[in-house]
Amino acid sequence: MFQRIIQLLLKEFLQLRRDRSARFRLLIPPIVQMLLFGYAATFEVFNVATVMLDQDHTQESRALVDSFVHSSRFELVAVADDRRQVQAAVESSKAQLGIVVPPGFAELLRKGQSAPLQVLVDGTNSNTALIALGYAGQISGAFGQTYAQDLAQRTGRALGRPLVSVKLEERYWYNPNLNSRWFFVPGVIGTLTLITIVNLTAFAIVREREVGTLEQILVTPIRPVEFIIGKTLPFFFIGLLEVSIVTAVGMWWFRVPFEGNLLVLLFGTCLFLISVLAIGLLISTLCKTQQQAFASNFFILNPMFILSGFSFPIATMPQALQWITYVDPLRYFLIIIRATYLKGVGIDILWPQMATLAALGFGLFGVAILRFSKSLD
Amino acid sequence: MKWRRIKAIVVKESLQIVRDPRSLMIVLLIPLLQMFMLGYGVNLDVQHIPLCVHDREGSQASQGLLHQFAASPYFSLQAPMGSDAEIRKSLDSGRCNLAIVIPAGFSKGLADNGGGSVQALLDATDSNTANIAANYARSVVAAYSAGVQMEFIRNRGGTVQTLTPVDMQARVWFNEDLVSRNFIVPGIVALVMAIVGAQLTSLTIAREWERGTMELLISTPVQPMELMIGKLLPYFLVGMVDASICLALAVFWFEVPFRGTLTALFLTTGLFLTVVLCIGYYVSVAIRSQVGASQVALLLTMLPTTLLSGFTFPIDQMPPAVQAVTYIVSARYYVTIIKALFLKGSAWTALLAPILCLALYALVMVFFASRAFRKTLD
Amino acid sequence: MADSSPMQIVVDGLVKRFGAFTALDGISFGVAHGEIMGFLGPNGAGKSTLIRILCGLLRPSAGRALVAGIDVAGDPEAVRRRIGYMSQKFSLYGDLSVVENLRFFGGIYGVSEAEMPERLRFAVDMAGLTGREDALVATLAGGWKQRLALGAAILHRPAILFLDEPTSGVDPGSRRRFWNLIHALSEEGVSILVSTHYMDEAEYCHRIALINRGRLVALGTPLELKQHSLGGELLALEGERIGEAIAPLARAPGVRDVAMFGNALHVLVDQAALRLPALLALLAGSGIADGRGRRIDPSLEDSFVHLVAAKLPPTEVAS
Repeated sequence: MFQRIIQLLLKEFLQLRRDRSARFRLLIPPIVQMLLFGYAATFEVFNVATVMLDQDHTQESRALVDSFVHSSRFELVAVADDRRQVQAAVESSKAQLGIVVPPGFAELLRKGQSAPLQVLVDGTNSNTALIALGYAGQISGAFGQTYAQDLAQRTGRALGRPLVSVKLEERYWYNPNLNSRWFFVPGVIGTLTLITIVNLTAFAIVREREVGTLEQILVTPIRPVEFIIGKTLPFFFIGLLEVSIVTAVGMWWFRVPFEGNLLVLLFGTCLFLISVLAIGLLISTLCKTQQQAFASNFFILNPMFILSGFSFPIATMPQALQWITYVDPLRYFLIIIRATYLKGVGIDILWPQMATLAALGFGLFGVAILRFSKSLD
Repeated sequence: MKWRRIKAIVVKESLQIVRDPRSLMIVLLIPLLQMFMLGYGVNLDVQHIPLCVHDREGSQASQGLLHQFAASPYFSLQAPMGSDAEIRKSLDSGRCNLAIVIPAGFSKGLADNGGGSVQALLDATDSNTANIAANYARSVVAAYSAGVQMEFIRNRGGTVQTLTPVDMQARVWFNEDLVSRNFIVPGIVALVMAIVGAQLTSLTIAREWERGTMELLISTPVQPMELMIGKLLPYFLVGMVDASICLALAVFWFEVPFRGTLTALFLTTGLFLTVVLCIGYYVSVAIRSQVGASQVALLLTMLPTTLLSGFTFPIDQMPPAVQAVTYIVSARYYVTIIKALFLKGSAWTALLAPILCLALYALVMVFFASRAFRKTLD
Repeated sequence: MADSSPMQIVVDGLVKRFGAFTALDGISFGVAHGEIMGFLGPNGAGKSTLIRILCGLLRPSAGRALVAGIDVAGDPEAVRRRIGYMSQKFSLYGDLSVVENLRFFGGIYGVSEAEMPERLRFAVDMAGLTGREDALVATLAGGWKQRLALGAAILHRPAILFLDEPTSGVDPGSRRRFWNLIHALSEEGVSILVSTHYMDEAEYCHRIALINRGRLVALGTPLELKQHSLGGELLALEGERIGEAIAPLARAPGVRDVAMFGNALHVLVDQAALRLPALLALLAGSGIADGRGRRIDPSLEDSFVHLVAAKLPPTEVAS
């Protein structure tokens, strides 16, 4: 049995070695993509294009405007003369946020009353808008509190001492600076592996079938299991190599801290690769032509990627969709890789994900082999 | 260029499409299913954040604060924790994303020095969710704090003038309720179309090579331009049907407000489809094996369309070098246009720049795709 | 047969290199109107490469090729309008029907709408597929597919037809019918260039070019090749354990070549009548009691084996 599998393995590697463009396709794109997407995927919000309208023209209003301008979150792109200009700037997407300090702002503040500050935001990208509003709230809130305390101290109002308040002390664990790259870079590693390997494997058997070599191989005494193992093992190694390369880029280029144990990640990766290979194989046995394999690839990979929790939290999806995500190996692998990277946890915490991946992988593999044996009759 | 030859190719390609009903079904069903799944799946609205609490005090005051958290729709309270170790474990395993820890002297602090603090421990692995969750937690605590302050002042016989010296009044335009689906679903349309488009044509040439029909085709007087037009036209029609399905679902099923004009929508959709089909065709011409063509088509469409088009990740937040790369991602222009048409109802004139870019892109791609095909075997 | 009008195909010093490998090494010949020119040679001799160059599928590295008076390298498109091509791989669309395939190639070759029905009927009749016009090509047997491919290649009435091993993998009956079609076309004035490795097929050609390792080894009518290429006369010797006589025969006076053919020996001598008695005596002397011999007409295969084995420099056998 081993002799036959080794022969098949040799053949696969020989074919790969001959195919120079394949080697290129396997090595360069993951690195380029890793660099590109590692930088592209970010939900952080800095330098929101902001247009200002100060209708109050007082020391206070200028101080407030300054506190916006001096924060790294907002960038002043225009100063408007009237409301119409603010609206026009937001409408034409020149600015994403408009801040209007209405007349009488300082007067209300000095009287200790609530002074309105109007913020106009382009909500097209609701996530950016929400976060920008959060920052605007923090800045205006902090400005107001400081001002009120100064005022209280100067005038002895509010019983001569600062108001009692409950503060929330936030501690951001695992990612203290809320660096979204730390979240996405491990995600990109998993996604790239998924896409490359499923695509390669999906063509493995269809191609032999279409070219006609499958028949030739099947008249030899090789057994379906042996054939499939020999066919997929090379891709397994390619997958490991790919993960290693992009993980290295993630660690040393993007400097995402790796807190966990490399062996845990390796183990998780192996389990992930098994289920990924099985999915590719299943496509390969279900499709008659390479054309169909190609269509199925796209059909399966896209939801697997979007629904994996890569950028959209699974917890916010409708229940029915959440069930679908349970059969998505990327979902589990993302949890494993992010947890080993950032949380530094081990198998004691990650065993449920690993067990599911293993069950998923071997289950799918079994189905693929069954399908394959059947499709021969 | 002879219409006669183009027609012959159009008829042949159409027949081949119809002859393979399985592939045709896939091509028509894919967008439908993907729109459904992805339309529901893409959601950045943070709700029901799993929250665990560790109340070290257990007083009326601390329970009052926790009650406010429990009442908020943004959080869903899990079982209370007994120790720091338990909290660590539930954050480690991802059972909770946020832990609120109320210290032992919480209510005493409120009574004596007029201040207290509670700790929020956030799992910031997903920094975006953590950021939004922290905002919500802050507003829950601020509301509680306001209540405490009112009482404090009233107890001492004072009058409450204001607790919020600066009252920020936010008005949100275009996507008034900040529903993330509204801006992501139009992007999904672009994604699905990019994928279907690339998939439709990226194998047409590779297939002819592998089946040996290409040699015969080359030996005929057919011109590269004729071959391209003839091969792309039927797929363009299929692609427009796909696009219409996607757009209809976005408007009628996911109820994304559509404020633009249909003419602008279909014109730009046609342009984008042309670009995508030409890219697929080009790849197919350049790479003669089907596996290779598939791999490259996948590389060129799926991730760039998702990550570099502004579909979810705002382009202006990317480093300049990556921003420069986004200019060669055709979906960038289409996503800009389609979002503006859906949510802003922008007029032609406001979208002139991206529309022109897209048209130019289409022209360039048609040029390259038609030139790429060489009628020789060397 | 060849007439005196200018040549339809003129090949002059054609060279094709793939990297370091020289596939064609200075080939020259001409094909007249209505002539059937056969290309004979072992696999890898360069037959397909030559045909592909003449169809404009490959560019020559050196030399010139005129097809219908047009330089192939200069204006391949003009050439393509005047030729039909059938490759060794079956290359119609399996998922289209007989008529759909023909309509497609007719459209591509620019057959006019008015002429199309007649040409379709012609091609379908020729392929013997009347009544099965709507069958998917993938379901047809080899012989029909091959005749249909020929029909597709001549829909536009090309003046020149290139056939690259058109009959490989087709049963003998179908091959005969195929050659009848080729001859009918030639009588209408179509020049045909066909490559093959079947010796019996080569006999159907008006002239044969023998190619080996990229070089033209011999060129002439089948008769000329058979009679003159050997440079002598052929004797067939038979007898028990005749194989043992090869060595002594080769040393005998007047003998130029000895080769085993089935269970006989073919011996090339300068003059058959003169040498036969001596050779029979030699057989008897070598312990082959029942030795028999006679003069035979050489077959093409004899010439082929002889020429390929001898690696002779290119010789123009006939004028």
